Amino acid sequence: MDEVIFLEVLEGDSVQARHRLERFPVNVGRGYGNDVILDDPKVSAEHLRIERREDGTLVLRDVGSQNGTYRVEPWAQLAELELVTDTRVSVGDTVLRFRARGHPVEKTVVAAAPTAPRPRVFEQPRYFSLALQALLGASLLEGYLANYGRTDWGELTVALVVPLGITFLWAGGWSVASRIARRQFHYRTHATVAALVLLGSVVIQPLLTLVGFSLGVSGNLAWAHHVAFLSLMAWGLYWHLRYVTRWEPGRLIRVIAVVTLSFGALSRADEWLGNESFSTELGFRRSLLPPAFRLVGTEPMDDFFSDAVKVQEQVDALARDP
Amino acid sequence: MFAFILAAVLTQSPVAPAEPSPPPAPGTPKAAPAVPLSTLPPATHELFQRIEGQVAQVRIIERRSGTRSSIGSAFFVSAAGHAVTNYHVISDVVIHPEDYTAELVLKGGAEPVPVRLVDVDVVHDLAIIQTATPVQSFFDLDDREPPQGARLFAMGNPRDLGTTIVEGTYNGFIHDALYERLHFSGAINPGMSGGPTLTGEGLVVGVNVATMGNQVGFLVPVKHARALLVRALEAKDSGAQALLATVRAQLLDNQQRVTERLLGAPVPQQTLGSYRVPGRWGTFLKCWGDTPHDPEVPYTVTNYQCSSEEDIFVSSRHRTGVVAFLHQHATSQKLGALRFSALYSALFSQDPDAVEATRQDVTNYRCQSEFVDVAGLPVRAALCMRAYRKFPGLYDLVLRAATLNASTSGVDTSLTLAGFTADNGRKLARRYLEGLSWTK
Repeated sequence: MDEVIFLEVLEGDSVQARHRLERFPVNVGRGYGNDVILDDPKVSAEHLRIERREDGTLVLRDVGSQNGTYRVEPWAQLAELELVTDTRVSVGDTVLRFRARGHPVEKTVVAAAPTAPRPRVFEQPRYFSLALQALLGASLLEGYLANYGRTDWGELTVALVVPLGITFLWAGGWSVASRIARRQFHYRTHATVAALVLLGSVVIQPLLTLVGFSLGVSGNLAWAHHVAFLSLMAWGLYWHLRYVTRWEPGRLIRVIAVVTLSFGALSRADEWLGNESFSTELGFRRSLLPPAFRLVGTEPMDDFFSDAVKVQEQVDALARDP
Repeated sequence: MFAFILAAVLTQSPVAPAEPSPPPAPGTPKAAPAVPLSTLPPATHELFQRIEGQVAQVRIIERRSGTRSSIGSAFFVSAAGHAVTNYHVISDVVIHPEDYTAELVLKGGAEPVPVRLVDVDVVHDLAIIQTATPVQSFFDLDDREPPQGARLFAMGNPRDLGTTIVEGTYNGFIHDALYERLHFSGAINPGMSGGPTLTGEGLVVGVNVATMGNQVGFLVPVKHARALLVRALEAKDSGAQALLATVRAQLLDNQQRVTERLLGAPVPQQTLGSYRVPGRWGTFLKCWGDTPHDPEVPYTVTNYQCSSEEDIFVSSRHRTGVVAFLHQHATSQKLGALRFSALYSALFSQDPDAVEATRQDVTNYRCQSEFVDVAGLPVRAALCMRAYRKFPGLYDLVLRAATLNASTSGVDTSLTLAGFTADNGRKLARRYLEGLSWTK
C-alpha cells in the first residue's frame, strides 16, 4: 500500500468524511485524543489503531474496543487486519473505507450543454409578477362576465383570493420537493409556473367556447377540452420537474409524455370502450355568445331537418344494441 | 313556474305499506249493533250486495318471489269470464311477461284464480283479462251518459281493504283533454284502479283510473271499454309478442291522430317582447305564463309554457304521448352583451322536464345542433332524439332553439314530443320552429 492513504467514513454509498493519513500510527475512536474522531456512540473512546510495519504494509489493530471491529467482506470480527486498497471495516454503526492515493477514479462526465448558462425565463422576478397579474386579471374578468345577476363583491373577492391561495400552496409543495432533491427552494420559479398553469386552466374554457360558437361546432368539444387540459398538465409538470430532478430535458419529456398519455387514456377509457351509461341528458353545445361572434353562416331549415335523419339513424343503431 | 299536477296512478304498489291495525283486544265490547238499514241512503247496500261478486281484486304476481308485486281491481263483463281492468294495473304482464303473471281474487276469499291477458287499450288505459271458468253474473256495458250531478258509486279494493263502495257525483267529460276522461267527484284510492263506477241502477259509467286527491277522480268512459270488449271477444289467442305489437300499433295510431290534429291547425302566434312564438297550438294544451319580478336582478325572463298535462302509461317507469313546450324570453337593459350571453347560455342549458323512461325503454339521446335561418331570424337550434327499444319506430324528440339576432334579448324555446314517429316528430318540430319570428 501507498505511503499516503485515505480513511473514508461512509454513509450508504457516499462518502461522509475523508481523512488523509500521513503519519503512523493513527488512532481512531470517539475520544478527543485520537487522530480521527468518530461521533458514533457505539464506537469506543479508543477503538483501533493503524500502524505501518517495517516492510511497509499497513495493519489495522483493534485496541480492545467494547463492540469490536469487523471486516465487511467477508463479514468477520477481527483483531488485526492488513489493509489493501478498498478494504472496508465496520465499527459501531460506522463503515470505514481505506483507499490509496493511486486509486483510479471514473472518467469525467461530458456535460450536455457546453454553453454559458443563460437565465431561465421563469426565474426572472418580473415574469413572476406578470404571470400573477395575468392570472388575477383573467380570474376577475371571468368572475365578472359569468355573473349575470347583481354584482356580487364577495364572489369577485373569492375570484381573486382563491387563485392566489392555490398558486402559493402549489408552489410551496413543489419548492419543498426542490429543496429535498436539489437543496434549493426555487419558490418564485415554481410560483410563476403554477400561476401560468392556473391561467391556462381559467382560459381554456372561454377559448373553446369562442371557437365552438364562432365556427358553429355541433359537438360539445369534450375531446378538445381533454387535449388542452392534458397539454397544460404536461407543460406544468415539465417545468416543475426541471427544478426538482437533474434529468436531461430529453429524458424528462419522454417520462412526462408517457405519464400524461397514460393518464389521459385511463381517464377516457370508459368512453373509448363504448360504456355509455344511461342518461336523459341532451348532449349538445350550450354556450352562446353575442351574435357578433358568429363567423359561419346559417343553414336553411330544410337542411337542418334533413340532417335530422342522421340523428334518427344513430339512435336506431343504439336501439339495436342489446 | 307552476307546479305540474300529475294524476297519481291508482295501482297500488308496495311503496307505503299501511300499518296493520291491531286486532281488537279481548274484552273490548263488541261493535255497536248495525245501523238500521232504513237510515242508509236508499238502495246503496242493496246495490252493493247485488254486484259485489262481479268485482274482483287483480294481483300481479312476480314469478321469482311468487308473491304479489302490485294490486288493482277488475269487474266481469261477460259470462265467459272476461273482466275489464286498467292497462296500468297489468302493464308488468305486458312489458315483462317472463317475470309477471296476473291472478284474480274473487268474492269470498277463495283461492285466487289465474287469468289470461286478452287485449289491451294502452291509450285509454284499459285491458281485458279472462278467467278459465265462466262466471254467473256480470255487468252490461251500456253507453248512456248520466246527467251532470248524478250520484255515482265507485267500486274497488282500495289499499287492499276488501271490496268497497264509494259514493260521489258525476261531473262530465274533462274539457279539452287529449285522452278522454270523465270527472268523478268522489274518493278514489290506490287499489281501486280498474274497478267500475256505476249509477244507482248498477249501470257502468266508467272505469276508475286516476285521482288528483281531494275527491277529484278520473274515469275512462265506458264506451272505450265496450269497444275493447267487442275486439277482445273476436280476438284469437294473443301471445306476449302479439300484445306488445298491439301496444305499438295503438301508440302509432295515437301519435298519428295527435300529429294530424296539430298539423291540421295553424300554429297560433303569441307575442313575447319583440318576438312571436308558437302559442296554444291545440285545445288540449294548457298554457301558463309568468315573469318573476325581482328588482335586484338586472334582467327579466318571461316564461310561457304549454303542455297536454296528460300522458300515456306504458309501464310504471315509462310514459309517452306527451306534447309540451316552453318559451323563455330574456331581455336586459343593464347587462352588456357578454354578460347577457352568460345568462342566455344558462337558459339554453336548462332542459325541459324529461319524460319518464328507463334504460330498458329508451336509448340515450343523440343531438345535432346548427345555426339555422328561420325566415331571416338566425337561431341556434338543436334537435335531439331517442328511440324506443320495445316499440321500434317510436321516438322521443326534443327541439331546443335560441334566437341570435340581438345581443341583449332573445327567446329560448324547447319542444318535447314523446312517442312520435321520426317523420311526424320532424314535421311538428319544423312547424313549431317556423312559428318563431321577430317583429322589428
